[in-house]
Amino acid sequence: MRSSKNSTKPKALALASVAAVMVLAGCSGNAASQDKSTSGTLAANWGGFPESWAPGAEMEAGYMRVPYENLVALNGQGEIIPVLATKWEQTDKALTLTLREGVTFHDGTPFDAEAVKVNLESIRDGKTAYAGPLKVIESVDAVDAHTVRLNLSEPTPSLLTQLSTRGAPMGSPKAIKAGTIAQTPVGTGPWAYDAKSSTKGTRMTFTYYDGYWDGADSVGFQTVELYAIPEDNAATGALATGEISLTDTETTQFGRIESNASLKHLSYPAIRNNPMFFDRGEGGAFEDVRVRQAACYALNTEEIAKLEPDFKVRSQHFSEGEPGYNPDVTGYTHDLAKAKALMAEAGDPEVEVEMLAAPFNEKQMQVYAEQLGKIGIKVSVQPAAPPQYFSQWNSGRYGLGLGSNDELTPYDWYQAWFAEEAPGNPAHVESAELKKAADAAIAAGASDEADALWQDVTKIISDEALTCAHVAGEELIAWNTKVVTDVKPSTQPWETNAIDYKALRPAGE
Amino acid sequence: MGKLIAYRLVLALPQLALVSLLVFFLTYLVPGSPAAAILGAGATPESLAQVESDLGLDQPFAERLVEWFGAALTGDLGLSYSNSLPVSDLIAERLPATLSLVGGGLVFAGVFGILLGVLAALRPGPLDRAINGVTSLGLAIPEFWFGLILSLVFAVQLGWVPVVAYTPLAEDPAAWFTGMILPSIALGAPAAAMVARQTRGAMAKSLRAPYIDSLTAVGVPRTRVVVRYALKNAMIPVLASTGLTLRILIGASFVVETVFAVPGMGELLLHSVIGKDFPVVQGAVLVVAVLVIGVNLVLDVGYGLLDPKVRSQ
Repeated sequence: MRSSKNSTKPKALALASVAAVMVLAGCSGNAASQDKSTSGTLAANWGGFPESWAPGAEMEAGYMRVPYENLVALNGQGEIIPVLATKWEQTDKALTLTLREGVTFHDGTPFDAEAVKVNLESIRDGKTAYAGPLKVIESVDAVDAHTVRLNLSEPTPSLLTQLSTRGAPMGSPKAIKAGTIAQTPVGTGPWAYDAKSSTKGTRMTFTYYDGYWDGADSVGFQTVELYAIPEDNAATGALATGEISLTDTETTQFGRIESNASLKHLSYPAIRNNPMFFDRGEGGAFEDVRVRQAACYALNTEEIAKLEPDFKVRSQHFSEGEPGYNPDVTGYTHDLAKAKALMAEAGDPEVEVEMLAAPFNEKQMQVYAEQLGKIGIKVSVQPAAPPQYFSQWNSGRYGLGLGSNDELTPYDWYQAWFAEEAPGNPAHVESAELKKAADAAIAAGASDEADALWQDVTKIISDEALTCAHVAGEELIAWNTKVVTDVKPSTQPWETNAIDYKALRPAGE
Repeated sequence: MGKLIAYRLVLALPQLALVSLLVFFLTYLVPGSPAAAILGAGATPESLAQVESDLGLDQPFAERLVEWFGAALTGDLGLSYSNSLPVSDLIAERLPATLSLVGGGLVFAGVFGILLGVLAALRPGPLDRAINGVTSLGLAIPEFWFGLILSLVFAVQLGWVPVVAYTPLAEDPAAWFTGMILPSIALGAPAAAMVARQTRGAMAKSLRAPYIDSLTAVGVPRTRVVVRYALKNAMIPVLASTGLTLRILIGASFVVETVFAVPGMGELLLHSVIGKDFPVVQGAVLVVAVLVIGVNLVLDVGYGLLDPKVRSQ
């Protein structure tokens, strides 16, 4: 007993002294968080900050959509709606946009045709993943101050959709030319970056821009603060204390969130993934369509979806209501007998392929390997560090891959993965039927019949089993109801960390 | 002493060159091109070739190495592949947070480790065994987990400190100090346990030495004997292992900073490794190497001050 009593003394003393310092110094933190909830400040955490804020850089929507706006947006029904462009007219050769008048960037630079030209050329010629889709823009003409014409190298029906994505925000041409935009975002959005109130690496503060074209009534918060708390437990803690108002989260946090009456969460589909049969060339492991179909029947998507709590099974890449969605595509329901029959029909070929895996998707690939093994397809999963994975998984060296297809339109999806020269088609093979259907859909441009033609394309992609076993991961957002209300996902589909910032209102208003 | 400093400085130069060469070589060996990481899955062979050419990745290894070394000697660590900003600027932004965290952890480890070690050596028996238990626990607890528990209890439940820990020292010294308390404890706890064990062993050995009995016999007060003579001698092996402790703290700080949202070098390095932003990786490793070698130099000098035999060698 005596030893136990004595042993706790130094420890208790140490804790008491630490606690005393904390009490003395810690009060300021609480006071600050209380101020926030009454001063119209939204504190959002997306776990980090973009490495660059330059238009076209890899920027998740949760950051990008605070200072920036696009020319157009998608509404919840997949239709293009005006933002900085009010009207548009597209032909096979050009897209002409009429720009909103009276818009200025946060640095006072007018938003006009010249600004659009600088932005689009900067994105197209930049070293980023978003440059590729804009390569079809051969040149940009400033027809007049508020009319801009994008001259196209080929018919590109998805261009407007591309202009609505996080890959094409409009930044101040002055800041782009000065090279300062990478660290100091200057857009036309409701909130302007306030460097003086920000702490590098910890908090970025954006305050309402008085010159905002849509007026102060269009937003609820005077200030938006972005935080970079990467650890989910810490973020949930900060949410509970009111240090932050809103955060992305994981299902592992639901217990803590649901046990706190002030916290709520929502989810929406944000990330798609599906296997890609790369080795489809002559003599390739997946050259025979029956082998691919057999593989699709052997994959049990219901089981794959159980790997992650937020995975949902899908029949195809596109959702109902999106262009390219075909109700006749029902996917490949798991049927081992049918899979074996198809393999037998194909002559029971010996199929051995390698699949490159990163730490974050290796588990899913091991399940693929195990399920495909049941019909004799041997998949060797090769673990790799993320840098190697990202640069080699679809290089053609591996017969099978796990794609995270983020294309929003059937045109982009086809051009990215299935067209003969698509970067995601390393075997460079395309069936005559698919090419014919895609050519017809492309030729239909943005006409009414185009959607039906693209539905034919997605049906052929499914029938030829170029990919299958679609699942989608959900984005999870949690918020503190004492601070913020009207939290809903953005209408812009398939974006992570996307929240409708303009709809948010301070609690109690 | 001057000779010792000069000797250590001369030794530091080839060490730095070797570290730089090794990192440069390792980044060269990593499969896949940074251009593919930059352009993503939709990159065409033409765009990949263009970006590789723009970044100078199509140049021979030796040429790139010489160019990088030459620039690094003038303080130019190159431009980041991901945002074209100077690597030295990116590191300068992150370094204060890492130094705050590692410094805080080192102070905590030093103060509490030495205190516990001395107490254990002075009070053999139950207190010694209890401290031994605490230090075993300290060595076993992962910094990451301990940080989460500290955050949950003191920041979330009690609200004594903010969850979002870091405020730059220049911006608000009080907020900086408050914010760094929990991260420093989380980072420094295992190191404190290590220091406590080393101190206890060294101190116990010092206290058993004949000169301690002599000092006591001639009437030197106990406190003076312990602090002025026993502790000073006991600190020599402890100080010698501080270089190792520092290296452990720097490594662990990259994990602890994620728990407390401290914008340090860890996140920068992690993103750079994943994004194959090699100039940042090379620059960051070089800076960490300079830090470790610099601190070791300081420790060697301190070691020399404590131990005259080292000075004469």
